[in-house]
Amino acid sequence: MSRARVGAYALWQLRDYLKDRGLSTVIIAVLSAYLAMSTTTETVPMPRPGDPVVPGMLARFGNPDAVYAARMSEFSFHLMRSMLGAMVFLGALFAMNGIVANDRKQGFFRFLFAKPVTPSRYYGQAFVVHWLGFMIVMLLLGLLYGAIVWPVLTPHFVLVVGLMFVAYAGIAFLLSAAARWDWLSLVVVAVAATFLWSKFGASTHPLARLLFLLPPLHRADEVYASVSGMPVLSAAELPVVPWPLVAWFSAYGIICYVAGLVVLRFRRLAIV
Amino acid sequence: MIAFDHVGKRYRSVLGREVRALEDFSIELHAGEVFGLAGPNGAGKSTLISLLLGYLGPSEGTIRIGGLDPRRYVEAHGISYLSELVNIPPGWRAEEALRRYALLAGVEAPARNARVDAVIEWMGLGEHRAKRVKQLSKGNLQRLGLAQAVLTEERVIVLDEPTHGLDPVWTQRFRDVVATLRRDDRVILIASHNLDELARLADRVAIIDHGRLQRVVDVRGVAAPAGGDRTPYRLVLVRGAELMPSVFPDARALGQGEFQLDGPTLDEVNAGLAALLASGALVTMVYPVHSMLEQQFREAVGIGEGEP
Repeated sequence: MSRARVGAYALWQLRDYLKDRGLSTVIIAVLSAYLAMSTTTETVPMPRPGDPVVPGMLARFGNPDAVYAARMSEFSFHLMRSMLGAMVFLGALFAMNGIVANDRKQGFFRFLFAKPVTPSRYYGQAFVVHWLGFMIVMLLLGLLYGAIVWPVLTPHFVLVVGLMFVAYAGIAFLLSAAARWDWLSLVVVAVAATFLWSKFGASTHPLARLLFLLPPLHRADEVYASVSGMPVLSAAELPVVPWPLVAWFSAYGIICYVAGLVVLRFRRLAIV
Repeated sequence: MIAFDHVGKRYRSVLGREVRALEDFSIELHAGEVFGLAGPNGAGKSTLISLLLGYLGPSEGTIRIGGLDPRRYVEAHGISYLSELVNIPPGWRAEEALRRYALLAGVEAPARNARVDAVIEWMGLGEHRAKRVKQLSKGNLQRLGLAQAVLTEERVIVLDEPTHGLDPVWTQRFRDVVATLRRDDRVILIASHNLDELARLADRVAIIDHGRLQRVVDVRGVAAPAGGDRTPYRLVLVRGAELMPSVFPDARALGQGEFQLDGPTLDEVNAGLAALLASGALVTMVYPVHSMLEQQFREAVGIGEGEP
């Protein structure tokens, strides 16, 4: 019977996440937003409250405030769509980078697991805590975005971001448990999955079924577009979240997470 | 309490070459004893300890702690462990590190702070408690490593090079720490290069070399070499040095009244001393060049006289 209080240690793990990883996620997110803003404004000008109103728009929306709201919503959609995928991917990368591998490489595991602590329990909990920390960071960033640009936080947005994080983080967790160079492995998996799915996804060759071993990252944009806001000016139909695709992504991540736990249960921690 | 039964460990190098770190290692460690582990660099001491903690799995043989597989034992009961290199995240503060480890070790909340404070006091870390790990000197870091190992009352204690980096005062205090930790239901394993330290602390010392157990020395059960055992001695006199050639014809003068006697028996040393004293010599010191354990170590790993 284990005496260890791994559950209570979750507060330390959350503190570590926010201090060591959450802060860098915020900094990178703000920089990404700034860069995305520059590129988005080249194609979709950012509306301002005093901008002249085109008569057709006035006729469609009724008053200048409604026109401004429609244009702002459109702008926000393009801005969010251009950066949301990168933010979730980088957030997962930062949250999971070295989560197991660093402790193994730097020897921190030696004191931790001489205590009555099971590695799979400890790191399994760290995964959940880092996910929670990421969601806190994303909620704060979403509120900030809403205050500066346009409200974007909806239940669907939060749910989809949380599930897409699980997809990337699950892969990263498995790689960190199984390999030393986990961040590099994750980037390789992401690039390879996107490339191979895009190139051979439509193939009817029996070997193309092997693609299902890789996450469907080539379709990630569909998911992000569905929660990026309301493109009321450019789209005839408002976006609908592709839940089966989201389920595919998150199930892939959960399977990888469970596989990571299995690796931790049976793999020896020392590097020889 | 701890049983190694024909344990072997093989690695495969990056070039595919097989490296045997440990071969056919069998020994039992009993509750109540302090057991030493000595051997040259690369002898297999660290591999043995990693196997004992379940950080590595054996290639052959079995290891049992209290009848359990090492990892199962550690996850159920914990082991007090000080590693050779004290690896604690450098951004943690000393006190914070101990609070974290105490929590993970299962020290209950009401007693946790008091236990951490007591261990900080015991290890003399009071003035360093708020420092980050990266700001600690080698000696203070070593004491922090020792502190985290003694937070709980485990039945198995494993200390790998525990006096590494400690100053003479703390090396002496470490002996008191071990004396405090010694208990009838507990086994303490100390791996060290410091044979003098092991001779003072351990009941038995296993000498390993090239991954093999060379011999187990019963430190408490064997006194100084007697009878036909020959070991070099040094003798220091402040008066009567001119008598030495007649009493010990083979003695080598080392200067300042010090002489080396190469390989007399203990009987010959005593007879010679009696003759010197009877002739009016004033002897200040007689000591074996190598301690009994050191002598055994040198024989076990094949170091001859005159070699460092």
